[in-house]
Amino acid sequence: MDLLANLAHGMGVALSLNNLLFCLIGCLIGTAIGVLPGIGPVATISLLLPITFGQPATTAIIMLAGIYYGAQYGGSTTAILLNLPGEVSSVVTTLEGYKMARRGRAGAALTIAALGSFFAGTVSTVLVAASGPLLTSVALSFGPADYFSLMLLGLIIAAVLAQGSVLKSVAMVTVGVALGLVGTDVQTGQQRFTFGIPELSDGVGFVSIAMGMFGIAEIILNLERPESRSVLSSKVGSLMLTKEEFRRAVPSVIRGTALGSVLGILPGGGAALASFGSYMMERKVSKGRHEFGTGAIEGVAGPESANNAASQTSFIPLLTLGIPANAVMALMVGALIIQGIQPGPRMVEAQPDLFWGLIASMWVGNLMLLVINLPMIGMWVKLLQVPYRYMYPSILIFCAIGVYSLQNNVFDVYQTVIFGIFGYLCSKLRLEPAPMLIGFVLGPMMEEHLRRAMLLSRGDWMVFVERPISATMLAIGFVALAAMLLPSISRKKDAAIQEGG
Amino acid sequence: MSWTLRRRALLAGLPLAAIAERPALAQGGAWPSQPIRLVVPFAPGGTTDLVARLVAAGLQERLGVSVVVENRAGAGATVGSEMVARAAPDGYTLVMSNIASHGISPSVYRGRIRYDAVTDFAHIALVVSNPTVWVANPRSGIRTLGDAAAKARSAGGLDVATSGAGSSNHLMVVRMGQLIGTELNHIPFRGAGPAMQAVIAGQVPMMSDSLPSAANHIRQGSVIAVAMASAERHPSFPEVPTFREQGFDLASDSWFGLSAPAGTPAAVVERLNRETRAFLSAPEIRARLAELGGTPGDLSAEGYGEFVRREVALWAPLVQASGATPD
Amino acid sequence: MKINTKDMVCVGLLTGFALIGLWLNMDHNLGSARRMGPGYMPMLTFYLLLILTAGVFFQALTNGPDPLTPWSPAEIAVVVAGAAAVFVVYYAASHAGGWLGASWNPLGLALFVGCLVPSILKSWRPLFLVSASFALFGIILEPLGLMVAIVATVVVSALADETQKPLGVAGCAAFLCALCWVVFIWYLDIRVPVWPQLS
Repeated sequence: MDLLANLAHGMGVALSLNNLLFCLIGCLIGTAIGVLPGIGPVATISLLLPITFGQPATTAIIMLAGIYYGAQYGGSTTAILLNLPGEVSSVVTTLEGYKMARRGRAGAALTIAALGSFFAGTVSTVLVAASGPLLTSVALSFGPADYFSLMLLGLIIAAVLAQGSVLKSVAMVTVGVALGLVGTDVQTGQQRFTFGIPELSDGVGFVSIAMGMFGIAEIILNLERPESRSVLSSKVGSLMLTKEEFRRAVPSVIRGTALGSVLGILPGGGAALASFGSYMMERKVSKGRHEFGTGAIEGVAGPESANNAASQTSFIPLLTLGIPANAVMALMVGALIIQGIQPGPRMVEAQPDLFWGLIASMWVGNLMLLVINLPMIGMWVKLLQVPYRYMYPSILIFCAIGVYSLQNNVFDVYQTVIFGIFGYLCSKLRLEPAPMLIGFVLGPMMEEHLRRAMLLSRGDWMVFVERPISATMLAIGFVALAAMLLPSISRKKDAAIQEGG
Repeated sequence: MSWTLRRRALLAGLPLAAIAERPALAQGGAWPSQPIRLVVPFAPGGTTDLVARLVAAGLQERLGVSVVVENRAGAGATVGSEMVARAAPDGYTLVMSNIASHGISPSVYRGRIRYDAVTDFAHIALVVSNPTVWVANPRSGIRTLGDAAAKARSAGGLDVATSGAGSSNHLMVVRMGQLIGTELNHIPFRGAGPAMQAVIAGQVPMMSDSLPSAANHIRQGSVIAVAMASAERHPSFPEVPTFREQGFDLASDSWFGLSAPAGTPAAVVERLNRETRAFLSAPEIRARLAELGGTPGDLSAEGYGEFVRREVALWAPLVQASGATPD
Repeated sequence: MKINTKDMVCVGLLTGFALIGLWLNMDHNLGSARRMGPGYMPMLTFYLLLILTAGVFFQALTNGPDPLTPWSPAEIAVVVAGAAAVFVVYYAASHAGGWLGASWNPLGLALFVGCLVPSILKSWRPLFLVSASFALFGIILEPLGLMVAIVATVVVSALADETQKPLGVAGCAAFLCALCWVVFIWYLDIRVPVWPQLS
């Protein structure tokens, strides 16, 4: 079979000593920046670009790819241990993962995150190799109207993330959307809600909000309740998954992989939806759904797999069209072009070594990450035993450096302080930050696609129901909304009956 | 360069190890005796950022001190530029001045930015200029600007995608609308990548893009190059006619270069200009830039200063016509 | 009546947010459905928020009680004083010349001082000293470098926790200085001033 021969050829390239070495370096750097809150792959990769100028293109791209998915792996660690999400996908991981850590199951959460990611990485790598070009047509068939409906569906789903009142969490999604409006309007170039502050013209920083509302607010709350921090350090528990946990996680991993693989193909937003789409799905269909909110393993296994699957399949538009799906890939394109290689459909024939070597190295990289990460879980969990009085200044420092390094601008540091205080207030009022962050990420994309769709349709709203993809998304969203509101109504009825009786 | 890079470079035994060595400090007070900061007023990853890193590596080798790239993005590239405008004029802080920060934004952000693109800087050298190219989806039926104009005048109008509102491409669309005599339906995207995808997918028939980001797609045939907005045909794409040849008087390159705060000693500016031009004229650099679709700059320091002055004057009326404002 | 106090405070907060948003949005052109202006989406968002908040209000009438821990008069007073300090310091610093008024220093100083004021009361220390220490990091980082910033942040944040001992804090600061140098400067090579800038 062609595919097998090609993959074998790719393996040959990826397993050469030099490439293996750089894959390892990439994975190590990636894990480090993933674990450190705020330090992102974009800044790191651009710092390393000059090194790649002097190397064969295949080696360069293998190392950059290693950093990229190493960062995806590492991100879940701080989310689970410290409630610190470094990016959108880890926001979801904090929900169940941090709860698991507080129950003494941090080791299990980290293990399933690593295993699930590896499984997802393997499946989606094969998918990229086998049907990359075919899947490209999926990406191309999504027009602005379809993206809008997808984002709207995502926002409706985001409300499900709430542990408490649905209404309050929808309100928080809306607050997030409003925060996302700050900055330069994409369609007209106007500045909105920036108060003349140039730093706000590119919007409020995601990392500032996440660090403030999750990281700093959590530290403050822990300091206020001395009893709660001892819980964190006294229970470490077994590192291994119990049989029961393993059995529960398997279907979630498979569902997450499937969902993530599909959403990852869509550039600009698909990957962001993957993890919490999976969370929502697990919460509705998995066997452990009643445990959600108290540390359900399905809520870690599904989203982590979805996230990793999406980060692999998001290479498809890059490899087949030459269009980068995110900033990291834009950097990779840059690195390739500097080498005189044009990414795109012709790359498969013109540069088979590069194409198949990269695909094979994706899998090798995933394997490497598993090997690096599994033994480290014991070490990470030990960190929880560090007394909290040493722990929290360290978290503060790491957050502060991470936030500053985003733009080398202290404004981001001060912004984080303000969101820390706001996050504290929200937690006192039982307003949840997770739906807000998701609204913040998806809101601007939704607006952009809405306005573009209307520009292209000459102001005809029917475009959203005439296009089959868009209509399907809206229908799913409608059903989800109904499913969400109905139980709360019937529950109220039950409560009323009980009170009456 | 830094320890990290040196360590990693040595690890793999790269030829680059030579320039990655931390250079010895020069003796005495002669410039340069300490690391130079090169501010890129964009987020990492764009063409400007990429070329800035190439130039930084080149200057580092020639000057014997490390040249560190620092990204300070925001507000149409004005945040980073403002920082440099206020930095000490000692030759240790430079900025990648560009068509946004030093051509268009002064008009878009008039009254908001606290620097003057011409007088607050000592402009050093033009690094690269890239022609603008208009591309069309192969199935759109648009082969020439005449086709495009006809479609624009028809009932449906013509949609033209760009990499963003307030960009030079946006202003090109406005100008082209003036020349055709009917407004084009401008569809801004968040960056050139998504816009190009919409054109390839056929959601938008046409796009105004800078040649480096479009070159690859033109070569692959996923889009058709309709017209090149430069004075002459581009050597890498000799078959693509210019706007002027097709009867529309429109020529615009996007560009970026090196600038320092005003008051930087003339000797330093001269030295930087010399080293930059020498670096840019090296054959392998020329080849790399040509691959990107760019033309390396070869202007004197005064020449580049004059160039920036002309650009600011050129864009002001178009910004007004486009209605792009920061409010 | 079982009024949910927490939700009522939420209603106040969210309504205020939406109204301020709508007021600010009056500057923006709404446009038409075909060519939506910059104000279109904000308008939809803030109206939706108002509607949702109304829903929360009606829920809050019946789903309580969920009382907030009341603040003592002294606690309220110092928070108000802190807020006042933010404005006073910001105004003073931004009109002062030199380093005080440069770039974002007025904002950083205002946040720092504003957070220190309520920290007089022990019950506010976790919230405001942690925030103050974070702001202090921003103030110190560029002029005095990473190492000084780490020490200062660790010391101030340590005051927020009564279980800290001087020796532990010193050890923690020294360890973090070493760790951050290894991780951020040596390994990841991020661009940040490490030592005080002499020039």
